[in-house]
Amino acid sequence: MSGLRDRMNRLRGDRSEQELKSAPVAPPLDELDEPKHDAPSLSVEEETEWLSPVWESFGVILYKNDIGSFLLRKIVYPATFSHGLHAIEELRDAVPGLSAFHPTRSMSADKVLFLDLETTGLGVGAGNVPFMVGIGYMSNEHFVVEQTLIRHPAEERAMLAYLAEKLQHYTFLATYNGKTFDWPLVQNRFIMNGFGRNIWEPQHLDFLHPARSVWRNTLISCKLSHVEEERLGIHRKDDVPGSLAPQLYFQFLADGDPAPLEGVFRHNETDMLSLACLAIRFGHLLNENIHEYIPLPIEPEEMVRTGLWLERMGKITLTEQMFEMVMRADQANPSTLLMLASRDKKAGNWGRAVLLWQKVIIHSSTQYGSAAQEANVELAMYYEHKVKDYESALGHANHAFEYALNQSMLLRRDTKKRAELESLRNRVARLRRKAEKQLR
Amino acid sequence: MNRFTGKTSGLEEWLEHVRQNTEIMDNVTHWRTIAPREARTAPLPDGLHHAWKEALRSRGISELYTHQAEAYRAARAGNHVVAVTPTASGKTLCYNLPVMQSLLENEEGRALYLFPTKALAQDQVAELQALADLMDVGIKTHTYDGDTPPTVRTAIRNAGHIVVTNPDMLHSAILPHHTKWVKLFENIKYIVIDEVHAYRGVFGSHVANVIRRLKRICRFYGSRPQFICASATIDNPQEHAERLIGEKVSLVDNNGAPMGEKHFVFYNPPVVNRQLGIRRSSVLETRKLAGLLLKQGVQTIVFARSRVRVELLLTYLQELIRDKVNDKSIRGYRGGYLPKLRREIERGLRSGEIRGVVSTNALELGIDIGQLQACVLNGYPGTIASTWQQSGRAGRRQESSVTFMVASSNPLDQYMIQNPDFFFNRPPERALIHPDNLLVLIDHVKCAAYELPFEAGEQFGSESLEDMMEFLVEEKVLHKAGGRWFWMEQSFPAHNISLRTAAQENFIIIDNTNGSRVLGEVDRFSAPTLIHEEAIYIHEGVQYQVEKLDYPEKKAYVREVNVDYYTDANLAVELKVLHVDKERESGDLVRQYGELTVNAKPTIFKKIKLRTHENIGSGPIHLPEEELHTSGYWFSFSEEAAARKSKNEMQFALLGIANVLVHIAPLYLMCDPFDIRVVPQVKAVHTQKPTIYFYDRYPGGIGLSERLFEVHDELIRQAKSLIRSCTCLSGCPACVGPIEEVGLLGKQQALELLNEAEGKTR
Repeated sequence: MSGLRDRMNRLRGDRSEQELKSAPVAPPLDELDEPKHDAPSLSVEEETEWLSPVWESFGVILYKNDIGSFLLRKIVYPATFSHGLHAIEELRDAVPGLSAFHPTRSMSADKVLFLDLETTGLGVGAGNVPFMVGIGYMSNEHFVVEQTLIRHPAEERAMLAYLAEKLQHYTFLATYNGKTFDWPLVQNRFIMNGFGRNIWEPQHLDFLHPARSVWRNTLISCKLSHVEEERLGIHRKDDVPGSLAPQLYFQFLADGDPAPLEGVFRHNETDMLSLACLAIRFGHLLNENIHEYIPLPIEPEEMVRTGLWLERMGKITLTEQMFEMVMRADQANPSTLLMLASRDKKAGNWGRAVLLWQKVIIHSSTQYGSAAQEANVELAMYYEHKVKDYESALGHANHAFEYALNQSMLLRRDTKKRAELESLRNRVARLRRKAEKQLR
Repeated sequence: MNRFTGKTSGLEEWLEHVRQNTEIMDNVTHWRTIAPREARTAPLPDGLHHAWKEALRSRGISELYTHQAEAYRAARAGNHVVAVTPTASGKTLCYNLPVMQSLLENEEGRALYLFPTKALAQDQVAELQALADLMDVGIKTHTYDGDTPPTVRTAIRNAGHIVVTNPDMLHSAILPHHTKWVKLFENIKYIVIDEVHAYRGVFGSHVANVIRRLKRICRFYGSRPQFICASATIDNPQEHAERLIGEKVSLVDNNGAPMGEKHFVFYNPPVVNRQLGIRRSSVLETRKLAGLLLKQGVQTIVFARSRVRVELLLTYLQELIRDKVNDKSIRGYRGGYLPKLRREIERGLRSGEIRGVVSTNALELGIDIGQLQACVLNGYPGTIASTWQQSGRAGRRQESSVTFMVASSNPLDQYMIQNPDFFFNRPPERALIHPDNLLVLIDHVKCAAYELPFEAGEQFGSESLEDMMEFLVEEKVLHKAGGRWFWMEQSFPAHNISLRTAAQENFIIIDNTNGSRVLGEVDRFSAPTLIHEEAIYIHEGVQYQVEKLDYPEKKAYVREVNVDYYTDANLAVELKVLHVDKERESGDLVRQYGELTVNAKPTIFKKIKLRTHENIGSGPIHLPEEELHTSGYWFSFSEEAAARKSKNEMQFALLGIANVLVHIAPLYLMCDPFDIRVVPQVKAVHTQKPTIYFYDRYPGGIGLSERLFEVHDELIRQAKSLIRSCTCLSGCPACVGPIEEVGLLGKQQALELLNEAEGKTR
């Protein structure tokens, strides 16, 4: 076998590496003296009932079923438990609102399963293994978090059998990016362990998508840990970042010491709770139940985005409320106003759209800026096609054209810019003709 | 002939005209007319689905060629099949026939088609889908490659009956995500591998391992697909296919397709300096012949061996149409062109809008460009197999076609041009692969472990599985539990492994002349000699000078120039033998096969004037040295032999022999001349004797030098006969090399030494 290693090293042409590596191949002394913990490298048959007390110190037990064994940690929270701004019991009221995700289904809190995985790698390839599966659910006025851990990949089948049984009791799967990551990965494991691919067909409640819709541009990142801190009032202490989890698990596979995994369990546990809070947050929003439980968005950008998302989900009342708040806000970015104006234009709400475009022009510091230009173009189109006031249209078109011309002197012209300038030139010319005709 | 335009009414008449033209005929060393061949047919097989029969009939197919019928029979009998067919002989029906039939019988069935390139895959899907549509059945055919939009990928995975892809995609996208392809893998009945001869060398060795992985996944899902392979004419199609797929295959090689009359003309440029054995440049002669054909309006393809040659010839030939503004009827075609441009050229050739194309062997594969009328080979394409493939590009079923092979002055070309019987009577080369090359194997064992845990007792390649597993456990990528080995690493192994060693590490060429745009790409091995700083890089007939080569970032920045020279780079090589695996003695000569390391570093480049090809300057190249660990074969002469010659004489003799050998070695291998290297040393470090080394230019070797070790005697015999029969006085580029390189007595010295090698006295 060392023959194979030598050959590999020669072929790779890294003799230096070979020399470096050949030294520490002999195991360090302390490793020889000490008996290993319950080393995971023991084969399944040899495994004993005995579980290191370290596991117990953070609530992990050995679970056995027909197929084999794996580790399980179960935490039960009273419904009154508060995590950040929300209390778990709000789930009862909030969850029915989530039916906007699946309008044909009736929804209640006890039909929702929360899921979050810790995996050995990235992506959804066949070799990425979820070594820890966290699930959460409501049970008799309690919120239960269960976390499985496989001490080595051979325990996966037993763990999956346990999970498969649990899944049958739920209809909805609440996750953060679970539609493209967590669930396909679980499905991979079912297929690869011979459970087939039809174990369960979840109705997804993937909160990553609404989170992005609402908080893009207002939050630096839409990672769960950031969203929860900024919007759910959750502050983690001594959190082990999820990105470290694989390394900690590999370390455990190598030395069998459970202690460092406690951090991974706690991280995943917090993720589960945050997921529940996110369900509460979006549920309240969709119930259009904002004042009672959640603070109003402060930034106009978030107001518009929340409104746009609610509108897409079919909730009109709160949507209008959000949009009206934007009209009253005085620190809105031009781009935010444009976003709302474009929505109003599509909805045929021309009055407010015109107001917003005018506001953009006034608010843009020098009146000239790309947002103001866009507003000018929009207004030119509005006056030309809707009002047939060619004089006003010409005024706006002229502003837009001058700005574009100035810009093109300063910046390099690419094809797109040139086409834009050309179309503005044409617009101005056309309006001029029309305006003259109108005057005559 | 039309007296006014000089145009003849057809190719036949023009050829007759050529036969009268002494200026041309003086240089023709051989003119072989291959008689037209009648079709040999068999009726459509019994039991063929009626819809399928109808579809074939509506395509004008009411009977099959014999090879198609036999391929169908063999496949239906449940055998793995390899069908060997020349260009344009209805090859696709050999596999489409059984595949479609099986899908019509069972619409749950699935098939996977593999083509070496995306372009070939796309051609194929168009054809298959047209057939399926004719039948008005719900058989869906899709390509699945890097260009497939994400939105349709899911549909293809679940509902595509025939998935057409390439080995790279199979390797990096399909197999690692096999759980998304359950439907395919559970129901797969056929795996079609077209152009199997293209899977040779390193690439072939990788692909053989991808197929091992594919079979492993199929086993997991309980399917046992049948393989149907198609190959161009090579010496060992059956053996090659068997090595590639790791199964016994039935060989189908009774080609029944008809062929029009074919003229094969060997053309040797005239000697311009008899003393030095210098012939007129083959590029200029190619220009002349291709020019004559193009002026006749004959649609012509010109094959050149290197990118530089392609660009040179393109520049020359485009002069023919220089006066016509916007005339795009003569085009170039090679690997570095971007796909969109290539598709455009392929279309132009099919429609006939493009009358002439100058190409590297990129057009040798089955890309659909229709059948042209004439083919001009600038230099012997390197292998008999390629020569027939390229020549097959010309030749329509009913019409005559012509192929000119214009010899260059290199020894292999000269050997071929003077020994036409060797070319016409010898079987084409063998395709060699070495799937158990340790580096390649371990790469794929990693990928395979990612896809499915390994179980004790499994077999993957010739190495012991336990050893490989243990090694990878130590490398901390696998974890053993419950008697199985699991992938336990954060990375995605397939991403770091490229099947075409060069592909992933291509250098990008950025043109800074007007803003910056990507011009093309060059593989890693060619980069040090092609795009070193100050190199002239020619693209689509335009010259660019390399201003900066960012080696770590793999980018070359170029600017358009207009100069009258091109550049050619030198490489300095050092060798060290690590291990001798085989040794044999014959006569005075000891030969060995084993492992060695090679250190190579580009040193200088020369500027060579266009048209006259004279050396007009040089400059240094500053690039890092590259180390290669590979397998090699070498033979050394005795100390007595060494004692009989001065050091200088020995130097010339060895160099002369090496020059000959490097060119005739490919006679026995199916490889690119770049794949194997020859280095002579007067006093080798390893043997302390005059020695000539061959080595494979890939880490771990791919079986080339091993094969040369086996055919050593034959190799030496051919070398001797080539030197002896060369008409030059004392050495020329066509045998031992020009006298500037090997001295005035180089030819004699080389012959003496070779005679001694056989243990004979002069």
